[in-house]
Amino acid sequence: MRSYIMNKSFLVSTHSRIRLLYVVIILMLGTFIVRLFYLQVVRYDYYQNLAQEAQLKRYEIPATRGTIFASDGENSVPLVLNERRYNIVADPQIITNKEQTATKLSEVLSLSKDNILKHLNAKNRYEILAKKQTTAVKKRIADMMTQGTITGIFSKTVSQRVYPNGSLASQVLGFVNDDGVGNYGIEQALNGVLSGKNGKVRALTDSRGVPLLASGKNVSIDPVDGQNITLTIDIAMQKQLEGILKKGLEHAKSKSGSALIMDPHTGAIKAMANLPTYDPTNFTKVKDPQVFNNATVSSPLEPGSIMKTLTTAAALDLKAVKKDQSFFDPSFYIVNGFRIHDIAEDGGARTRTVSDILQYSLNTGATWLLMQMGGGEINKQARDNWYNYMTNHFQFGKITNVEQGFEEPGIIPNPDKGYALNLKFANSAFGQGMSVTPLQMASAVSAIVNGGTFYQPTLIAGYTGLDGIFVANSPKVVEKNVVSKEVSKIMIGFMDNIVETNNFAAIRKGYQVGGKTGTAQVARPGGGYYDDIFNGTYVGYVGGNTPQYVIMVRVDRPKLRGYAGSQAAGPIFASLSNMLIDNFSVEAISR
Amino acid sequence: MSDARFGLRRGRRKLQTNNKDSEQLLRKHRPDYKLLVLMTALLVLGAVTIYSISPGVTALKGLSENFYNYKQLVAISLGFIAFIAASFMNIRFWKRLEIPLIVFAAIVAVSVRAFGAPINGAYRWLDIGGMSFQAAELIKFALIVWLAGFLARARINNTISNSSTLKMVGAVGLIIIVVVAGLQSDLGSAGVMIAIIGFMSFVAGMSMKKLILVSGIVIILLGLAIISSPYRRERVSTFLNPTADCQNEGYQACQALITVGSGGLVGRGLGKSVQAYGYLPEAANDSIFAIIAEKFGFLGTTITIIMFLWLFKRIKMVAEYAPNDYSRLLISGILTWLSVQMIINVGAMIGLLPLKGITLPFVSYGGTSIIFVMMAVGLVFQVSRYTDLAMYEGSTKAPRVHRMKSSGPVVRRIWSRSR
Repeated sequence: MRSYIMNKSFLVSTHSRIRLLYVVIILMLGTFIVRLFYLQVVRYDYYQNLAQEAQLKRYEIPATRGTIFASDGENSVPLVLNERRYNIVADPQIITNKEQTATKLSEVLSLSKDNILKHLNAKNRYEILAKKQTTAVKKRIADMMTQGTITGIFSKTVSQRVYPNGSLASQVLGFVNDDGVGNYGIEQALNGVLSGKNGKVRALTDSRGVPLLASGKNVSIDPVDGQNITLTIDIAMQKQLEGILKKGLEHAKSKSGSALIMDPHTGAIKAMANLPTYDPTNFTKVKDPQVFNNATVSSPLEPGSIMKTLTTAAALDLKAVKKDQSFFDPSFYIVNGFRIHDIAEDGGARTRTVSDILQYSLNTGATWLLMQMGGGEINKQARDNWYNYMTNHFQFGKITNVEQGFEEPGIIPNPDKGYALNLKFANSAFGQGMSVTPLQMASAVSAIVNGGTFYQPTLIAGYTGLDGIFVANSPKVVEKNVVSKEVSKIMIGFMDNIVETNNFAAIRKGYQVGGKTGTAQVARPGGGYYDDIFNGTYVGYVGGNTPQYVIMVRVDRPKLRGYAGSQAAGPIFASLSNMLIDNFSVEAISR
Repeated sequence: MSDARFGLRRGRRKLQTNNKDSEQLLRKHRPDYKLLVLMTALLVLGAVTIYSISPGVTALKGLSENFYNYKQLVAISLGFIAFIAASFMNIRFWKRLEIPLIVFAAIVAVSVRAFGAPINGAYRWLDIGGMSFQAAELIKFALIVWLAGFLARARINNTISNSSTLKMVGAVGLIIIVVVAGLQSDLGSAGVMIAIIGFMSFVAGMSMKKLILVSGIVIILLGLAIISSPYRRERVSTFLNPTADCQNEGYQACQALITVGSGGLVGRGLGKSVQAYGYLPEAANDSIFAIIAEKFGFLGTTITIIMFLWLFKRIKMVAEYAPNDYSRLLISGILTWLSVQMIINVGAMIGLLPLKGITLPFVSYGGTSIIFVMMAVGLVFQVSRYTDLAMYEGSTKAPRVHRMKSSGPVVRRIWSRSR
């Protein structure tokens, strides 16, 4: 063969040599057709899948998040609105002048040129350079794109929450994180209502992800926008409350505290605030996430003596004691080997009335009430009765279902399990060894002063749907017979009495103002209590013939002489009740 | 293998009759219009494909939607002018252009290096008044024209002497190494040129021994060229295992395979290409065959390949029955040029050959390529007027019996019938 090829007679003519080239071409193109058959017919499914994997993209069309309003008399004013912002995105694959693009962008975005270049040199086709830029920034970049000074930069519209009232009610509102999910407050609790339902698109797209119109496989479901929410929060009252709380805490030299105002006849929360707070616009700059918490619903505390109001109401409702009943106060009781005693100023052993228990805040009196619930001694019957009132009447130990994120239920001791049960229950009769949130306490006191109905506390006045129609939220009754109407009336009188004798600043002629102080020892983390650290609490009402608002105040660890309840929380309560009478048309007593 | 089977006897007869002196004896006759029809069909296929993917490729580059359409239509119009000019120009005219053309090509190549902007580390383009000019196309064309004259002169007794071979290898080697591989880093075009030179020498009758020797040297040089440049090494390693790195180096090779494979039997349809929307690089230029495969499927690619094959066959026949050595070598060079480019381009798209940045003649977007390949077909068209009609027509139409006796009366009968 070799010698044949080298033989001069082989392929001598130009014709045969040209034909040889043609034969080679035929062979090559024949191979190509075989190869194409393999690729396009035999392996079609494989390559089709690979192509689809890259081309077919699923998108969510974000629904517009509902906005949040506060009540302002008959009107509503916005607390949270949406604003269009733009994420600036680069497609490095199609940027032709990376150096220049980076230089130009660094003039517009607050990013260094090197930082931008790093993004522009990525192998990715979707590099987010900057988030939530303003329309002005977006426009400048769009102009540069049309001028051709930069290439391959796009913007993606995103929504951002804005707060016309700054940090007002920020803990009630919560915030929306970068993924569009509500965190804390209303934003978390009603995330589903506010966020609506995102639309869906499944489409063949170009390499940047822009859907191609020509494709028949596109599927799209329109988004359903979120509903707008109007809160029961009264914006003027909220502003006043925040101001008063701030001043009150400064006066009490306390770092943190809470206050809330509630309508006892509906459970509607009219104002609610905690300090310290934060600016929701800059929630990312917050160092201590604790300030995101709405402490009135998320931080239970041992309420202290304000609990005696409930103990009295329960004993009266059980008919274990009578309104005018007097008893001998021995100035101390020994329970489970522990000595329960009154404070020194109360003057030792003597005869007291039921009313005195609240007026002088007698720990022995509260213990005596518990004893009456058990027929004269602290026993299982007393524990069961008191436990029943705390959990089933006053709804302690469970969440209230108020529309807030991270609500805490608090702790109520079990009547049958554990050690020193009698001591635990005696303590709980004056608000120690158990915990409730300020909101739970305000709700329970509301039930006591409104004639005995426990309304679920709520922040929602109503929803405005997509059709623009406002649907009012109706009050939800949780428990009808918290206490009888008679007991309710007695308790209103008792609480009024306390203010008359103890909290002179709160007294207003022609109005009924009632309340009870609490000075609770603060539990030591290792067990037991601090000797010199207290929380001051105050719960009360203000109104005319019937209580119109219930107020709950909590001051953490004030540094004042005297009792935390009366010295730190009392003045805040007085300011709030006066503020309500002055500005919020509290009906005067008419008789 | 008998002589008859390779047409040796007929070939010898041809060589005896078609001497340089007999040129003026040739009768002018009807040209081969099939060349024009097939070329136009391929141009239309290319223009329609470019038109249909135009929104995709322009949007991603921020160009106006008709950017490519407009430029391609201008190129085709210019190409037709070049075609008509070449098809009416006497073949002898090109002989006079040999040296001026190769000098001009060299000047252009150097100015590309001097004034052109590099793309991917290669100097290939020259911007002239908004239109870019690809120097390699001119060099290829000039090379064919020069080599045809040189080989025709050097061809004595059906072979090329040693001294002529050395002269040619020297001159050609200089052109390729200095002008193309060195100055422009364009190994693909260099490969096409080597194929043109090799095959034209082969047709001219260079002995097999010399050809094997020279191609051995060329292969070694090519190997060195590949090893010396990381850009080429990368391409070759990508070729050997294209799907190993689909995200980076192998991206285009992988996307080409996906594009071709996703076409299926009948394709997605004319306006339905998705891969052109930013997935497949160079969709309108080097990768256009893959887009055709995606749009028209296996049926479309097969028809495209058959159209090319048909065109090559017509060109081959013109070459085979060309009136003299010079025109035969010229047409052989053109056939090699077009077919090798087509094979390298399509072979790369279907993963059989490495990606070389070579356009698909007539179909790919690109003004320079369109104008020069159309001019080349115009040249073939001109030569087809002077073919030895007897052999030309007889080889396809006449029964074998007639072909064997192809002389006088039979030939005339066939000719008049086809007229």
